[in-house]
Amino acid sequence: MSALTLFQLVALILLCAGLFGLTQRRSLVGMLISVELMLNGAGLSMVAAAQLTDFSAVMGQLGTLFVMGLAAAEATLVLAMIVVVARRFKSAKSSDITTLKE
Amino acid sequence: MEVLAKIAFGVYTLVILGGAVLAVSSSSLVRALIGLITTLVGVAGMYLLLATPFMAFMQLLIYVGAVSVLIFFAVMLTRAEQGGDEADKAPMKRYIFGLAATMTPAALLGWMIMTRPAASVAVPVEVPIKQLGEGLLGSYFLPFELISVILMVAMSGAVLLVWEKRGKK
Repeated sequence: MSALTLFQLVALILLCAGLFGLTQRRSLVGMLISVELMLNGAGLSMVAAAQLTDFSAVMGQLGTLFVMGLAAAEATLVLAMIVVVARRFKSAKSSDITTLKE
Repeated sequence: MEVLAKIAFGVYTLVILGGAVLAVSSSSLVRALIGLITTLVGVAGMYLLLATPFMAFMQLLIYVGAVSVLIFFAVMLTRAEQGGDEADKAPMKRYIFGLAATMTPAALLGWMIMTRPAASVAVPVEVPIKQLGEGLLGSYFLPFELISVILMVAMSGAVLLVWEKRGKK
């Protein structure tokens, strides 16, 4: 098995762990943690693919850097939303804020 | 890969796996956050193994330094419950559906990775940081500027969302 395959498998494990957490978590903060896991898998996969093939290594690293910046922006906004939701609904659980079903 | 690199790869994989399991399965959100931080540090080690020390540094700086602190603030600001937010068990149906939704992409992508391996070089390419800087201020100047705009909008949007007027309430 080549080195690239091993790194891609680890990235795939991260993606699947995040996906599983996203379906199982019942609080918004837990879901945010799972999304961060998935984003890390994406970054690892991109850097591995850029470093271990003939593809431009600079582009791979800068792309991952942009993913990190977007993750930071996303975490900021989600934090603000969670705070607003927690104030309004007095809870940060996803089951408590599905008002459309009622 | 060299023997030492293989050992390091194994250790980092174990760290990542342990952290991911803790982050996904722990009933206490603070423990889940600790698991996430463990995984982030493991991924930083993977970046070191891929001969990208700059990315490893950025991983520690942005994820461990900034994003984890943000998530910790989210945990603190939402009055997490005493026995852990995830203490009550989920119904079995949901668990099975979640497992199916996870295993489908895992099986598909895993099969593709295993059967169609890309041509891979054994030793990762080394890129000097100077070249990265030239890339940021040369060919990829527009995304570099756009990401700063996005960060500014996200920060001001967050402040605007949670702003409370003094006279209200």
